[in-house]
Amino acid sequence: MGIVTDKLPGALEKVPGGNVLVTRFDEIINWARASSLWPLTFGTSCCAIEMLMATGGPRHDLARFGAEVARPSPRQADLLILAGTIVKRMAPRLRTLYEQMAEPRYVIATGACTISGGPFIYHSYTTVRGADEIIPVDVYVPGCPPRPEQLFHGLLTLQKMIKEGETIREPGVRRKPVISALPEGITLEDIQGEMKELLVKENVVDVQHAVDKLKWPSGLNEQSSGKSGANESGAGDGT
Amino acid sequence: MEREALQAAVCELDAAVSPLDANADRAAVVVEASALPAIVRRLRDEPQFAFAQLLDHVAVDWIDRGQFELIYQLYSFKHKHFLSVSVFVPRDDPRVPTLCRVHPVAEWQEREVYDLFGVLYDDHPDLRRLFLEDDWVGFPLRKDYQDDFMLDRPR
Repeated sequence: MGIVTDKLPGALEKVPGGNVLVTRFDEIINWARASSLWPLTFGTSCCAIEMLMATGGPRHDLARFGAEVARPSPRQADLLILAGTIVKRMAPRLRTLYEQMAEPRYVIATGACTISGGPFIYHSYTTVRGADEIIPVDVYVPGCPPRPEQLFHGLLTLQKMIKEGETIREPGVRRKPVISALPEGITLEDIQGEMKELLVKENVVDVQHAVDKLKWPSGLNEQSSGKSGANESGAGDGT
Repeated sequence: MEREALQAAVCELDAAVSPLDANADRAAVVVEASALPAIVRRLRDEPQFAFAQLLDHVAVDWIDRGQFELIYQLYSFKHKHFLSVSVFVPRDDPRVPTLCRVHPVAEWQEREVYDLFGVLYDDHPDLRRLFLEDDWVGFPLRKDYQDDFMLDRPR
């Protein structure tokens, strides 16, 4: 058994002269799909500003999860992030947009209005009571509006679903939708700290390891060996 | 002009104009429906008023009194003062002359009020629905509007 890689699904087998990556098509296709979701630029009300545009900006930065390439055309997108109220007049257009997207396509419904109609559920002549009356939804992200961290949580939930779920033997089989609610009692500082930790961990360059790999001249090697006890590691863009 | 002075000056224009509410935060007058276009045209053209801009046009459904209140918000770039002009029309026959000839922007604002309240504007060039589908039945912002889609709050 070789090394099981973290990022790319599969196992590295050592052979003379290098490594061989052993994997399955399902896993590597799902890995590719989950790692480069292209969302459709689709915002119908305040959720789009408070949540979706904020995540696209540099402070929260959707690009860390490979889903920042917002496409203005549904034919180039495979993720539909529903952000905002869907009204009866919008419903046929939304259905058209969804049908124009190429398979496989995924839908995240964010915010109270998109999930159930929200504050407009009673005495409204025009608000659709839940986007799932029009198109199937994969992940629900509750909130009014959700924080950008909640959208990230929903996006990671969707990535997990894609990586675990679909197989090319049964294309188009839709999984059960999930609610991506953050557990109770978690504060914003917890989420930010966890994300920072994750980012630092993934971007740390192990200097000692890099030094050991290089063949230095003998004199230099002795000089650097004096302080080799401390495992110096410079953080990447952790902030 | 100050609010009280402006309201008094507008009321002296014509017998069809009367003050609305002394406690309003801007000068407000009531105009009879038949005299509306002439009054608004005079408010636009006379240099002491110079109401060149029709900011907004909305309607209020006073279902208890059986009336629609049509409100026109006017603004003067020259004097930087506001005026609110109200017209009361009966709910069962809501008819009022159009202001398109005076303020061209009124065409779409009146289409919106027609769309949601069903107020008919005499002599309007293009009185069609603006937001809702053309085959929509009824006017949804009337207080007594009901349809099969609406959901009542459970008691």
